[in-house]
Amino acid sequence: MNTCKFEAQIDDYLLNKLSKIQAEKFEDHYFNCASCFQLMVERDEVIATVKLKGEQIFSDLKSESQTIRLPWAERLVGFFSPKQWAAVTLSAALILVVVLGVIPQFKSSAPQFQLDDTIMRGQTLTLISDAIPAQFRWEDLGENVDYKITIDNHVQLWTATTASTYITIPDEVKAKMKPGVKYFWQVKAFSKEGSLIAESSKVQFSLSD
Amino acid sequence: MAGQGLANISSNHPRASKSKLVNQEHHFYNVDGVAKHTAHDLDEIIAKYRPIVSFRVKKSLGSYTPDWEDVVNEIMLNALEKIESGKFRGDSSIGTFIYTITSRRIIDYIRKKSKYLKYAPEPNPYLQPHEHVENKERAEMIAKYLERLKPKYKEILYLYYYKELSREEVATKLGISPRRVSERVNYAQKLLKKMMKK
Repeated sequence: MNTCKFEAQIDDYLLNKLSKIQAEKFEDHYFNCASCFQLMVERDEVIATVKLKGEQIFSDLKSESQTIRLPWAERLVGFFSPKQWAAVTLSAALILVVVLGVIPQFKSSAPQFQLDDTIMRGQTLTLISDAIPAQFRWEDLGENVDYKITIDNHVQLWTATTASTYITIPDEVKAKMKPGVKYFWQVKAFSKEGSLIAESSKVQFSLSD
Repeated sequence: MAGQGLANISSNHPRASKSKLVNQEHHFYNVDGVAKHTAHDLDEIIAKYRPIVSFRVKKSLGSYTPDWEDVVNEIMLNALEKIESGKFRGDSSIGTFIYTITSRRIIDYIRKKSKYLKYAPEPNPYLQPHEHVENKERAEMIAKYLERLKPKYKEILYLYYYKELSREEVATKLGISPRRVSERVNYAQKLLKKMMKK
């Protein structure tokens, strides 16, 4: 339901809490807004009665210090209206979804292997000549690490494990690789106990025709 | 009373006695002869704005001021004359036009009174609302319903209306947000209205 924006000022006007300018604006408004005037008359009656008969009406409350102190849970519930609680719940749910669902996607991925520029250029590599690089290189992850390199074109072509930060492709593997075919290579790092420590992104390359 | 006030206007106004206004749908003319308002229009203006003007005057002067009805009559008469003579050109709404006349007349009244009572304090332009309560029976009835409200609504009306604490102060006292204070006050008012309609 649409309500006039001046409605919120009715109580303040009747209780003389508006500044002179605000009061004048409000007065001008209620001379022009029948609904605000009607509401103000109704509220004035209630406030007037409260002022006149407050002692009687609030005799059970007696004094400010004896005003009801609600338990903390009830006060917490009362802090928001049902609509606001619904909004708070929805927001909390959204935040939870973001925290549990989206953020893990952005968590720091396994260390990226730094590839030797002379050998690999970016994520997609087309070699300039039909020569297959003699070596694939990656960044050193420290001692006691084994690196497992895999080359595939959706079907594993070759895999090998080494403790070095480079590997040379054997001739028999080179012989299997054909120009124009897309191949992928990837390196995974394992601890000596065999646990996966890190893995590189899968890098695509092909030999020129 | 409002009805008497209307009679006062009629008796003071040479062309707009109430019977004429109701029975003759004649037009009032400007000097240029253009019809501006029918008597019916003026009747409607009186019916619509007299309660508003009365509210404003009583709030400023206090309903205990014996002159308040005279002031209202003068304002209405002045407004009608200006409308009739075409001095109201419609530059503003008629509500704003009457509001302006009302405010000026109230200021004049307060100034005059201050002149006569040289050392008297300036009348407070904003008097307490309870000064408007005229119908004691109705006040009794409202009080009865207020007493029946749930404690949480009674408490908020007690702090906000009776003790006149600010929304923020009430909010702090009750451990709720200031916005919630307003909502609870509004809801209490709605409950009262509902009870009164039954």
